[in-house]
Amino acid sequence: MLAYIIRRLVYGVITLLALSMIVFSLLQMTGGGPLDRLKLNPRMGPYIDTLTELWGLDQPAWRQYLTWLKNYTTPETIALQNVLPVIAIGAAIGLTVLMAKFMKSQWQGLLVVGVWVLALWIAISNTTIKFNWGTSFSGAGDVWNLVFSRAGATFRLGLTALTLALIIGVPLGIYQAVRQYSFFDQLGTVGAFFAFSTPIFIIGIGLQIVLALYLERWTGVKIFYVTGMNSPGYSDLSAIGKLVDTVQHLVLPAVSIALISLAGYARFQRSSMLEVLHSDYLRTAKAKGLPRRKVIVKHALRNAMIPVVTLVSLDLAFMIGGAIITESIFGWPGIGRLYILAITTIDYPLVMAIVMVIGMGLVLMNIIADILYGVLDPRVRYD
Amino acid sequence: MTETLLKVEDLRTYFSTEEGVVRAVDGISFELAPGERRGIVGESGSGKSVTAMSIMRLIEPPAGEIVTGTIEFRGENLLMLGDDEMQKIRGSKIAMIFQDPMTALNPVYTIGDQLMETIILHQGVSAAQARDLAIQALEDVQIPNPEGKLSEYPHQFSGGMRQRVMIAMGLSCNPDLLIADEPTTALDVTTQAQIMNLMLKLAAERDTAVLLITHDLGVVAGFCDTVQVMYAGGIVEFGTADEVFHNPQHPYTWGLLGSMTRLDEVHKKRLHSIAGAPPSVIDLPIGCRFKPRCEFAIDKCGKVLPMLQDVEGGSQRVACHRAEELDLKTFTVTDDEHEEVAS
Repeated sequence: MLAYIIRRLVYGVITLLALSMIVFSLLQMTGGGPLDRLKLNPRMGPYIDTLTELWGLDQPAWRQYLTWLKNYTTPETIALQNVLPVIAIGAAIGLTVLMAKFMKSQWQGLLVVGVWVLALWIAISNTTIKFNWGTSFSGAGDVWNLVFSRAGATFRLGLTALTLALIIGVPLGIYQAVRQYSFFDQLGTVGAFFAFSTPIFIIGIGLQIVLALYLERWTGVKIFYVTGMNSPGYSDLSAIGKLVDTVQHLVLPAVSIALISLAGYARFQRSSMLEVLHSDYLRTAKAKGLPRRKVIVKHALRNAMIPVVTLVSLDLAFMIGGAIITESIFGWPGIGRLYILAITTIDYPLVMAIVMVIGMGLVLMNIIADILYGVLDPRVRYD
Repeated sequence: MTETLLKVEDLRTYFSTEEGVVRAVDGISFELAPGERRGIVGESGSGKSVTAMSIMRLIEPPAGEIVTGTIEFRGENLLMLGDDEMQKIRGSKIAMIFQDPMTALNPVYTIGDQLMETIILHQGVSAAQARDLAIQALEDVQIPNPEGKLSEYPHQFSGGMRQRVMIAMGLSCNPDLLIADEPTTALDVTTQAQIMNLMLKLAAERDTAVLLITHDLGVVAGFCDTVQVMYAGGIVEFGTADEVFHNPQHPYTWGLLGSMTRLDEVHKKRLHSIAGAPPSVIDLPIGCRFKPRCEFAIDKCGKVLPMLQDVEGGSQRVACHRAEELDLKTFTVTDDEHEEVAS
């Protein structure tokens, strides 16, 4: 198990290297460089040469890439704020070494990964660490600070949407399968079809009009906000006021993203559950005399969840991709909007940084999903 | 009949499909004594499995439905029981073993988990006691190292081993009736006999009646006390294994027997086959259902559905208009022309 995780991590690093090369090449191939926009401005004339030299654009592409790679991966500053990171990482290493000998079951594998994620999170949040990811060409400032100030907002939106989609979509699909062809099932099917086939900008704008604009007009109270993450006077609010304000801003964009995923999960869960419900081992469970509830909850659910894990892990990419549009509609200060800015201005350091952050997230999620398979399905073995 | 364990009367189980109503089981009646080993034989689609599923009440509406009939088990009509009461009977009083052991066990739970689940459910014992009983149950079905096998998953077992587990699970609560739906069909020929012997030995030890569904006449001949032959949703012949095999009364049974390979006879001729295919149970012929394929059919067969009737001198019963006048023993089965030897 440990060998498997390490192997997957090594593959992950190779994948990310390949990704960075491809994206870097693509950026080089785009028509016009990052300076073209500035060249249009006659007053910039004297500075173009300076900028070219400063950003290293006069160097051959391979040297630019190597410089970027070196800077990207070397910490610029690293300082411990307290002793917590040392303890966390030490504990994680200790647990891994301790469990390496007995690590047979996937549960333990998942536990180790979980402990490492937690340890790294403690380590990073208690350390002043900064990588030199360069300065944005479009004048947005230091890339490291920029990405991490925006990541929180995207994370908040994505996680809320994913949670909503999971806690509604999965049970919905299960219920539909158990009550196949009932009125509710048909309704769910039609609803899912609509949600799935409506473009996200229609859903987003539709929600804004109905749930924010009309609702405020009818009730006279502002219930949901259509833009931003917080109100201007946010810092003066009480703790409860802050929470309410956050929720008021979060609901509409999160629901927009969640609706589409939710429809997908419900459809997928329904068909996977139906397949299991008609399986021989479920007949065995019924023949044993188990109550219907236990037949479904114990014998059907776990089997029916296996295919859905794939969908959810793949969906994380969609969450980030979908967030680009949603963030623009709702003025959400997340990575998605930053990404659009970076691409339209051919901002090399910013594009690279965002692509790599998304890539790292996907690689990690894939590893976790693969281990989760093993937890759910004992037939999956990692040797 | 002295004592009755199971009494099925005029059972009709229909399935509604887009093509029409499938009369899978259409008015069958039979009784089963405690400890009796009954074979149910018939072709695919003759209603054998649906009969079993009806007794277990595992036919699920809206697809299928028990339209009429009674299934009395120890004097209690199962069709009148509530879901809770039926759940108490399933697995504890009436157990069932299915055809394909490869898919009959849940792949994500251990053997021990699935065995103990049944024991805890019906016997109300603690987990530790259930564990001991599960080990005992695996030992009974001759699985080596039963204690270690408890924590293994079904995919680590071979087909024969899985069917042993199913038998252990079925018999773990000492049921009065064990329904085995083609338990050896999916297995190797070499393991078939082992599994059958084991299952019937254990059933006999527990005085459990067995309802063995099969299309293998050899299995019935070797293991069953009594046989009922089913054709297109109805019972066409019933009797002790001895009677039915040596003195078949129904042309269908006679044809089936003629299609068997026998080791004690030197075959000079090709094996017999019954011409045609079973009728569609959606669109059943009027009169005897076997008539289109029957070489002894007369006009009456096409008009009146024959009922099961006692055959003189024995326990045999048959549903054939010509049973009395025909002595099928004296006919020789040949491949192309069936010459009547004595007529």
